[in-house]
Amino acid sequence: MAEAKIKETDFLIIGGGPAGLAAAIRARELEPRLSVTVLEKAEISRSGAAGRGMDALNNVVVPGVATVEEYLEAVAAISDGTLEPTVSRVIGERSFGVLKKLEAWGCHFPRGADGGYIVSQFHPKGRFMVEMRGELKKIIAAKALEMGVEVVNRHPVLELLKGREKIGGALALDLAAGRPAAFVAPAVLLAAGGAARIGLSNTGYLHGTFDCPWCNGEAQRMGYRAGAVLTGFEYTGQSSMTRDYNGAGQSTFIRHGAHLVNAAGQRFMERYAPELMERAPSGIRMRAMREEELAGRGPVAFTFGHLPEETIALIESAIFEVERPTMRQYFASKGIDLRRDPVEVVMTEVYLCGGHGLAGLVGDGWGRTKVPGLFAAGDCLANPYGFLAGAMAMGEAAAERVAGSSLALPAGLDPAGRLAGLEEEFRRHRQGALRVPVREFEYKYRRLVNEFVAPPKSGPKLERFLHETEAMVRDQEDLPAPDPHTLMKVYEAKAGLFCARMAALASLFRTESRFGLYHQRIDFPEKDDRRWATRVMLEAGPEGPLVYREAEGRPV
Amino acid sequence: MNLAIDYDCCTGCGACALVCPGQVLALDDEGRPFERYPDDCWYCGCCQADCPAGCIEILFPYLIR
Repeated sequence: MAEAKIKETDFLIIGGGPAGLAAAIRARELEPRLSVTVLEKAEISRSGAAGRGMDALNNVVVPGVATVEEYLEAVAAISDGTLEPTVSRVIGERSFGVLKKLEAWGCHFPRGADGGYIVSQFHPKGRFMVEMRGELKKIIAAKALEMGVEVVNRHPVLELLKGREKIGGALALDLAAGRPAAFVAPAVLLAAGGAARIGLSNTGYLHGTFDCPWCNGEAQRMGYRAGAVLTGFEYTGQSSMTRDYNGAGQSTFIRHGAHLVNAAGQRFMERYAPELMERAPSGIRMRAMREEELAGRGPVAFTFGHLPEETIALIESAIFEVERPTMRQYFASKGIDLRRDPVEVVMTEVYLCGGHGLAGLVGDGWGRTKVPGLFAAGDCLANPYGFLAGAMAMGEAAAERVAGSSLALPAGLDPAGRLAGLEEEFRRHRQGALRVPVREFEYKYRRLVNEFVAPPKSGPKLERFLHETEAMVRDQEDLPAPDPHTLMKVYEAKAGLFCARMAALASLFRTESRFGLYHQRIDFPEKDDRRWATRVMLEAGPEGPLVYREAEGRPV
Repeated sequence: MNLAIDYDCCTGCGACALVCPGQVLALDDEGRPFERYPDDCWYCGCCQADCPAGCIEILFPYLIR
């Protein structure tokens, strides 16, 4: 057998999405002598949730249109009294700079009749969504390569390397070779996305999820295991998406003024959020959809017939040209014309996402986690509704911190020993004593999420989930993986199960209801601001997870 | 299967397999793309968009059609 690789770099970035690449580019801009390595599970020109582009740069404080304070108010409304504003403030302040950079690199921001950016409102307050077109991901990837960033594709990262009290790199799976590879670095950025495969999708396909299915909480699990803190895992997100296709559209439809109607054609949000209507925080909207269905007034749909042709054309260009352009084929196959037809929407599976919700790693204004040298950005970082601009802003912030600090590897780093340990894990998976395909294992934990963790929640159901999945945590070490691709799927399933269990623990701990549908507890139906207007934190303790209120700090 | 690949027009350049974010596509011994892991497809359409000869079309799987 060939010797496993050990490679050294100054700044190791895990995940080549917009957050990771923005960090890599910024680090090289500031410090051209810094060696920057991006480990990417797929191939950077198309990888991750933004692989096919985005129809808007959501969350930009455009001067003259909105202010950072207004942005914080909007995010605070969505966070429902739990916002810790440090990260959101940084995003608000940096967001317009991100836009200008993307524009300079070649991203297309269409202009409105007044010659300015097309900025529309999706949030409860303020206008922060800027229309964008073009091959976003290819543009950022090309820029990273131009800046001399080293990119290592097809290398999913499986665990972090830590020395004494400090981060020291990561171990990846070299998919081509089927072997582990070690990357030693004094600074590491986790930027590997959200956790999409948590609940079971109604599409019937394990990868037919709303959020990018190839990101399944690996960064969150690795970070937690290294000592970082998680938050917001009781915010079990769901979205209202086009039936069957499960594709993006909600924010596009709402920001351009589509109406959400029930089977009788009534704009039912009048009943649940008469002032905000469709722009109510999504948890409120999901709860309203659920109530309408239960009252026999479903199915619900978006309608567009009242909108002028130019707005319909803008919506079509948004959903047909970027993000999930196969939507065009889907609409054609169903004979849907927005001018005439409603688009029926259903609630997606439960997912956990730091940029689309509240669930992620805890970081400060530089994206620093509790572990020295370890940063997070993008959907794995808790950056409430930071979306794409938030991902890139926090990537840049982390890079600035890394470029400005003296970099030294920690003592007590043992990459060779850890590689041997990982080789041993791989051997065990090749033997696969469990004799259960990973797809079946994944189906099971996700089915259990739908039964016991998805709202409405209750103490007994959440406890049942934790109990039922205890054996699965042991079983996962013996999942069979005859080839490297399946091995990657095994680690994705481990991460998904981990995140689901964290969601159950946090949901059990928060004995109140909050965030609309997302944390609706049948056994604690009221919101209790006196005790719970704070974040719920999760951290590895000596005897298992510690769960605590941020306001009170970590229990001693 | 999620894709219709027109092998008469495919040049075997491998761009589709190179970019597929889910590693769904691979090249066979003759350099022709095929769906090695069809269950992992998100029908994102990257293969379709990046095929220089325009030989790939997304076919939605039955449950979604």
